[in-house]
Amino acid sequence: MRRHIVLVLAVALALALMGGVAVAEQPKYGGIWKDALGANPPHLDPVFATDTTSAEVGYQIFETLVGLDPDGNVVPLLAESWEVHDGGTRFVFNLRKGVHFHATTEGGTPTANGGREVTAHDWVWTFNYICSPETNSPRAYFVDMIKGYEEYQSGKADRLAGVTALDDYTLQIETSYPFAPFIQVLTYNTFVVLPKEDIEKWGTADFNFHPVGTGPFKFEQWLQDEKIVLSRNENYWMKDEYGNQLPYLDGIEYRIIVDYTIEYTEYKLGNIYQSYVDTPYYEEAKSGAVGQFFERPQMGTYYYGFNVELEPFTDKRVRQAFNYAIDRETLIDIVLEGRASPAKGVLPPGMFGYNPDLEGYEYNPEKAKQLLAEAGYPNGLEVTLQYNTNLGHKRLAEALQAQFAQIGVKLNLRNVDWGVHLDTVERGEVPFFRMGWVVDYPDPDNFLYVLLHSDNIGPQGNYSRFNNPDFDALTEGARLEGDPEVRRHLYQLAEKIVVEEAPWLFIYHYVDHSLVKDFVRGYQLPAFGQYTNKFTKVWLDL
Amino acid sequence: MSKQEMVLSSAVAKQYNAEKEPKGRSLWADGWRRLRKNRLAMLGLFIIVFMTFLAIFAPYVAPYDPIEQLIWTKGRAAKLASPSREHWFGTDLYGRDILSRVIYGTRISLTIAVAASVVSLVIGVSLGAVAGYYGGKVDDFISWLTNVIYAFPFLLFVLSIVAFRPASLTLVYIAIGFVSWPSIARVVRGQVLSIKETEFVEAARAVGASDFEIIFRHILPNVIAPVIVQVTLGMGSMIMTEASLTFLGFGTQPPTPSWGYMINQGREYLLSGQWWWSVFPGLAISLTVLGFNLLGDGLRDALDPRLNK
Amino acid sequence: MGRYVVRRLVGAIPVFIGVIVVVFILTTMVPGDPARIMAGQAGNPETIARIRKEMGLDDPLHIQMWNFFKSAVTFNLGRSYRNNMDVNEAILSRFPATFKLALAGMVIAIVLGMTSGIISAVKQYSVLDYTSMLLALVGISAPSFWIGLLFIYFFCVILRWIPGTGTGNGEFVYLILPALTLGIRPAALIARMTRSSMLEVIRQDYIRTAWAKGLGAKTVVLKHALKNAMIPVVTIVGVQMASLLSGVVLIEQVFQWPGVGRLFVEALTYRDFPIIRGEVLFLAGLFIISNLLVDLSYALFDPRIRYD
Repeated sequence: MRRHIVLVLAVALALALMGGVAVAEQPKYGGIWKDALGANPPHLDPVFATDTTSAEVGYQIFETLVGLDPDGNVVPLLAESWEVHDGGTRFVFNLRKGVHFHATTEGGTPTANGGREVTAHDWVWTFNYICSPETNSPRAYFVDMIKGYEEYQSGKADRLAGVTALDDYTLQIETSYPFAPFIQVLTYNTFVVLPKEDIEKWGTADFNFHPVGTGPFKFEQWLQDEKIVLSRNENYWMKDEYGNQLPYLDGIEYRIIVDYTIEYTEYKLGNIYQSYVDTPYYEEAKSGAVGQFFERPQMGTYYYGFNVELEPFTDKRVRQAFNYAIDRETLIDIVLEGRASPAKGVLPPGMFGYNPDLEGYEYNPEKAKQLLAEAGYPNGLEVTLQYNTNLGHKRLAEALQAQFAQIGVKLNLRNVDWGVHLDTVERGEVPFFRMGWVVDYPDPDNFLYVLLHSDNIGPQGNYSRFNNPDFDALTEGARLEGDPEVRRHLYQLAEKIVVEEAPWLFIYHYVDHSLVKDFVRGYQLPAFGQYTNKFTKVWLDL
Repeated sequence: MSKQEMVLSSAVAKQYNAEKEPKGRSLWADGWRRLRKNRLAMLGLFIIVFMTFLAIFAPYVAPYDPIEQLIWTKGRAAKLASPSREHWFGTDLYGRDILSRVIYGTRISLTIAVAASVVSLVIGVSLGAVAGYYGGKVDDFISWLTNVIYAFPFLLFVLSIVAFRPASLTLVYIAIGFVSWPSIARVVRGQVLSIKETEFVEAARAVGASDFEIIFRHILPNVIAPVIVQVTLGMGSMIMTEASLTFLGFGTQPPTPSWGYMINQGREYLLSGQWWWSVFPGLAISLTVLGFNLLGDGLRDALDPRLNK
Repeated sequence: MGRYVVRRLVGAIPVFIGVIVVVFILTTMVPGDPARIMAGQAGNPETIARIRKEMGLDDPLHIQMWNFFKSAVTFNLGRSYRNNMDVNEAILSRFPATFKLALAGMVIAIVLGMTSGIISAVKQYSVLDYTSMLLALVGISAPSFWIGLLFIYFFCVILRWIPGTGTGNGEFVYLILPALTLGIRPAALIARMTRSSMLEVIRQDYIRTAWAKGLGAKTVVLKHALKNAMIPVVTIVGVQMASLLSGVVLIEQVFQWPGVGRLFVEALTYRDFPIIRGEVLFLAGLFIISNLLVDLSYALFDPRIRYD
């Protein structure tokens, strides 16, 4: 009975929401968006931000040339349009006019740039700044195909030759070779436009604590470990479809809550309007009784990597046996409360090139035992899984311990902090390790080439040290190929090889969730995850 | 060890300094008689004996295998089942029996308490004895070392040792033991200082006994009583420290049924209403620490006649 | 008295030197190459070599130790690996929150502990006495982080008396639960200490005389007995203030309180060595200073103690 009421309410709510869109409810101005951040962000300076928490705040303050719509498609942002010339090696961006840097910040203090308009020269300066060897941005290498990058990085040139201003509102970027996903790379949160004056005022280290950009919200205050406050950018360039000035909100307040339990509790108490939904709360959140629930596949894959150069994983049969040993359905259904989808291969659903007909590994402990016996381990074996310290990783590994025990594998666990984990895994010292990958740009290149091509063995991403010439040839070809259908085919062939060779224990693809209060309007959960959301068009019906 | 115990221990040391006469058997007999009259202390003793019994006979007492995950065979029904006749303390996310895990958890806590105490005893007794016996520069140096270790907030020190190394029980008890020795060293030093001037030690020296012999034969036996009090009181806080470490996510590795880790795992579910995963291990910690505290208090009173009026 | 203070201060110097050495050992002798870890995913060999050089990792150990020593005594511990913030600033920006919490915890501990201690002593062997002493035993034995969790569950989720965790916007109500959780253990210790020293004083002759003179119970208790029972209690209060500062590591984690304890745990997770070093030094320094103050106040309260 109770369930029925919930259902009726949910339907009513859905109808109300749809109705709201249909009659175009008049947005209300005002209110503070109250949200939580999962950590004290290390970098509000986008040039150094490599983590999702930093990006989450950065997206409100800074803007890229091109953005992503909620479904992950590239759309204009500070560039109104762009053309691709010379076989995909020259990109011309027509910049939007009337975009201004923030004129004030931190309680009305004027910024060094004084709120001037952004021109193509600012972009040239910014790209030079990001790629400069002195700046040493950890993400500069994402654009290492820009012409003159190597020379500039090694000090042979004093500027980045490939980025030029054709006039005040036209920016040209040339690459040394055609790189199909280049435009996707430019959506990454590091490649934003920055005000030279403010960076010079604060210096590279302190700009992090006084960020100034062009985005819908301005930086106000950062109380370490406590909260980050942003205020409305009253000179923001974007208007809604009725010509109303955006954003609607007066500001954003991010509480720093390093604990999903507390985050959810705070949400239910009404202190924050949006919450991540951790496993224990999934059922309640999904019921719709505590707010609007959003769910969508996130382009990412959670896996355990085998180092194919180290015993016992040099033997393909052992790797395959491990893949047969786990019951992904039960694992996801019970331990993860169904908030993920079982992984058959590398590419997540929703990504270009995803193959719904891919044949993965089913749960078959008998077959696993048989493969182990063939590989010379009739009595099982003992292996150690290394993971980075995190309750969620521990929770999953603990479940899999029992699964491996069934096929005679004693799984020991070893946790280290993220820095050491990455370091030892990159060096190829760890035979069996946990990893996860969420797209930086929505293209299979970001998965297959980056994570498994033999050129990328080690720190670049191929932690399994997988080395397969056929696979290499396929992914290289796809990188240069212009025709989407051919590319799709090449990627699907490449992925089949990966599944057969099993350098990973494929576990699951992420599904992202978000829970927002019923009075929130205009909220969408982006394909890349809640952390990429911008609150430009969100408003509160309070 | 908190500063509290340190103050108490120096009080204990002072009182022992007061009685210059080393005591033999009568001290123990008297002590036991007094202890038996102290009902709270006996309760503490009972709790510890009970926990030790559970630890030793865990396989016979526990109704289930503590690491067996029932969800793979019994499905959803086995997951986070509330306390029932089959599972008195309920089950956890993987369908493991929490009662059995709490029972097996006694092994972890008591191992930590005993092993860390051994580590701190070895360091503390030897340094304390050497400092007290030789005095002078050696004493100054060891006292300085003691003060340095004392200057660190206990938990921070242990965390700094444990956090950067792969989790293991051995690491945890070594770290805890390594940080807790100063209180023992102080007690021992104080005792040795007062005993070494007594007539019977003088006599032994006159007969030509070596330093080693004097320390081990004549002095250390007289230090045992205050050290026992110190160690008993310390065990409670060692168990608490281990629980704090694992609660913060350091120090133990699944599927080890450590109480602190169970509280940590269960806390998310506590706030969604499945209280049993973290409440029962919390009770187990409280009970065990209570046992050590009661017994420690009782021992202190019993072995120190001056306090008993 | 003045000379005693100076002597104690001077005596603290070698201890602090030892603390610096131990901190250096704790954060240097760890597995893993910090330079590689700092360089992160894009770390090419040149970057790593540069970082090694900047951090002085290629110097012999004793040189590194000496450099660390110099930076420690000049309060110049560098910047956080994680977000480049100055270490002093990072710690000092969190300290007020911790101090507020610790102070509130102490106030609760004193009020709660002394009240129940006095009542217990005056009504010895009453139900009230047994109850409060039992509670005190529980308070000493139960893990504070666990009690904190139960508090959140009862007072925030079930009863909704407290609006949430964190600091709110500094409203008082947010301070109640974390301070109470932090204060329980010292409250229990203070209660037991107050009770036993009150009992000792009450039995003495002059109190009996006061009773006999017909003074009201209240006057006797408050004016005479309490005054004399204070000395050991004061000591315990001081000593607990110092240990509270390490208890906050757990409580701040449970209540998401933005203080130095949470900063420390976070720094451990990310191997942020400058912060870890700064924090341990800072808290150890605080520890030494508060121990000093305890000794001094003990001397002040108890005229029998000599200063030489």
